[in-house]
Amino acid sequence: MSAVVGLREFLVLSAVLFALGLYGALSKKSAIMILMAIELMTNAVNIALIAMSRFLTPGLMTGQFFAAFIMVVSTAEIGLGLALVLALYRRTRTVEVDRIDRLKG
Amino acid sequence: MTWLLAIPLLPALAFALLAPLPRVTRNALRWVPAVAMAGSLAGALAAFAMVLRSGGGDQPIYHTSFAIATIGGKALDVGIQLDAVAAIMLLVVTIVGMCVQVYSLGYMHRDGRVGWYFAVLSLFSAAMLGLVLASDFLLLYMCWEVMGLCSYLLIGFWHTQEAPRMASIKAFLTTRVGDVGFAIALAIMYASVGSFGFAAVLHGYSWTPALATAVSLLLLFGAMGKSAQVPLHVWLPDAMAGPTPASALIHAATMVAAGVYLVARAMPLFEISQVALTVTLVVGTGTALLGALLATVQHDIKKVLAYSTISQLGYMFIALGTGSAVAGLFHLMTHAFFKSLLFLGAGVIIHAVHTQDMREMGGLRKLLPWTTAAFTAGALALAGVFPFSGFWSKDEILVSLWSGGHYVVFALALFAAFLTAFYMTRLWFRVFAGPAQKPEVREAHVEMIVPMVLLAGISLVVGFASPFFATFLGEHGGWPDIMMAVGSSAVATSGIVAGWWVFGKKAVDTEALKARFPHLYGIFDNKFYFDRTYEFVFVNAYNRLSDALWTFDTKVIDGAVDGFGHAWSAVAGGSWTFDAKVIDGAVMGLASTVTWIGARVRRLQAGRVQTYQRLVMAAVILLVLWIALKGA
Repeated sequence: MSAVVGLREFLVLSAVLFALGLYGALSKKSAIMILMAIELMTNAVNIALIAMSRFLTPGLMTGQFFAAFIMVVSTAEIGLGLALVLALYRRTRTVEVDRIDRLKG
Repeated sequence: MTWLLAIPLLPALAFALLAPLPRVTRNALRWVPAVAMAGSLAGALAAFAMVLRSGGGDQPIYHTSFAIATIGGKALDVGIQLDAVAAIMLLVVTIVGMCVQVYSLGYMHRDGRVGWYFAVLSLFSAAMLGLVLASDFLLLYMCWEVMGLCSYLLIGFWHTQEAPRMASIKAFLTTRVGDVGFAIALAIMYASVGSFGFAAVLHGYSWTPALATAVSLLLLFGAMGKSAQVPLHVWLPDAMAGPTPASALIHAATMVAAGVYLVARAMPLFEISQVALTVTLVVGTGTALLGALLATVQHDIKKVLAYSTISQLGYMFIALGTGSAVAGLFHLMTHAFFKSLLFLGAGVIIHAVHTQDMREMGGLRKLLPWTTAAFTAGALALAGVFPFSGFWSKDEILVSLWSGGHYVVFALALFAAFLTAFYMTRLWFRVFAGPAQKPEVREAHVEMIVPMVLLAGISLVVGFASPFFATFLGEHGGWPDIMMAVGSSAVATSGIVAGWWVFGKKAVDTEALKARFPHLYGIFDNKFYFDRTYEFVFVNAYNRLSDALWTFDTKVIDGAVDGFGHAWSAVAGGSWTFDAKVIDGAVMGLASTVTWIGARVRRLQAGRVQTYQRLVMAAVILLVLWIALKGA
């Protein structure tokens, strides 16, 4: 068993990061923390994409390009998300999502 | 000669044109019926000329018929024919109709519904012209009924007032009583002959005397309704509530004479049955006397003329009762001219003094010179003074009575003639003589004067046609017997003198007479109790019958209906209970079940985003597991 870091290790890392992010997104009370957790999940996906691209289709840069796109889009998404959090805070004086239940049926 | 059809159709078209128009347009087009009438007049003159050239006689010179319906495989034909009688009647109707149309333009010009008046007048003329052209009893009956309708509409023309409305209903119903007789006669006719045509019914079928008597009497009954003969005369005096020119045309000259025309047409049938002739004679005599007697006590100028018309129509029926259709038709013609003239004159007088009560008139001789002259001519004609037309036609009737051996009727007819002269003199002195009570009276418009002068001229000269009239109709004619002429003139003169003595010279105090014989005056004042009797026998009986029926209705019919209603209501109550308990229970139960489930389900909707997200996650995991296991 060589110590070469291969595709499997990268996918395991990606899965671990995604699971951490998912746990954070589902369990954290602060909206800021949820946003950060979502960011973690996005980056896990990025790692998986780049690893796939590097090991399976070395001649093409498809995964890298997708990762670059996702970074750009997630930056915009974070900006939007923070703006929403700010607006939410102004109205409700809190950023704790389990106290924001206006969608209750 | 199909153009004959245009004679009745032109006024009918004028009606069809005016009737659907809005009121303002119709009023503006009120001259249209007069133009149509002028066309009919021209047609009537042409028709008369053609018959004259062919020499007259009792055979039609033209006949056409067309089927209007096929019932049970048998065609129902109506037709028109032109013979001497029709030609003369056409002339009479169109001349009087034309005069009345022109006169009405002046008389009615201030009325708001003048257009409708002229439209109905036009429809009436069309019906009357159709009636005299008809070659069968069916078309005659149809026109007869249209005339009845027009009479009803014109009597009730001022329908916002009570009296005209009631009078129109009375006239319609009373004439309808007679028309039922006419209709039954038609049914018997068709059942036995199988045709309505004059030729087939009158000459082409051998009637048994009994059947001929029945049909004749029924026809006579119809004629009595239309021609206001006793006892069906009660509608005519009331009909004076209509516009005066309409009275002149319908209730003096033409429609009321239609009964005379009908009997004259059906004369061959009457001759088969001596009974019918005798009945006609009796009815005519009674009517002539009764009308004349009542005319002497009326104060309303139009009522005097109305009773006079009844009396003169009675005269015509006397003539028919002697079997002399010629004398009856001749009196019909002369009467049409002078009586419409008298009505038109009365219209001018009523317009001028704004009342119909003769006691408020007087001294109009100087104020209305033209009207006075024309009216006097009409009055002299009615009184039977030589050389006016009434003298000739009345003489012919007297001659036919004398030669027929009806001496009692002859005496009664002479007495009626005396009364006629008497009441016309009374009217004349009341209206025209004496001091003027209303000095601001103005003479009528020229379009009202001209027709009156024209009719006065005709009334003056038409009597001289007496011998030619009979020849034209295919009978033997001649100048009246000189003794008869002298005798009747003496009667007429004595009537005039008596009238002058009582009302001109005022030698008799009529009020004192009234006080002296209160019972006699009461009989006259109540018009021989005809109206009272009808009210008691028919109207009250009818009302009692109505009351009884009403009671039956409320008790039995309504009871049954109410009972059914109650039963149904009970059924409905049971049904309602079932509905409320079972159906509604089921629906409500379903609803509350759904509500209960909803209340459970809504707990899922916590409103927290993360809760939803966890559910989604769980679902995804389950899905992935399912796929993984299935794939394996």
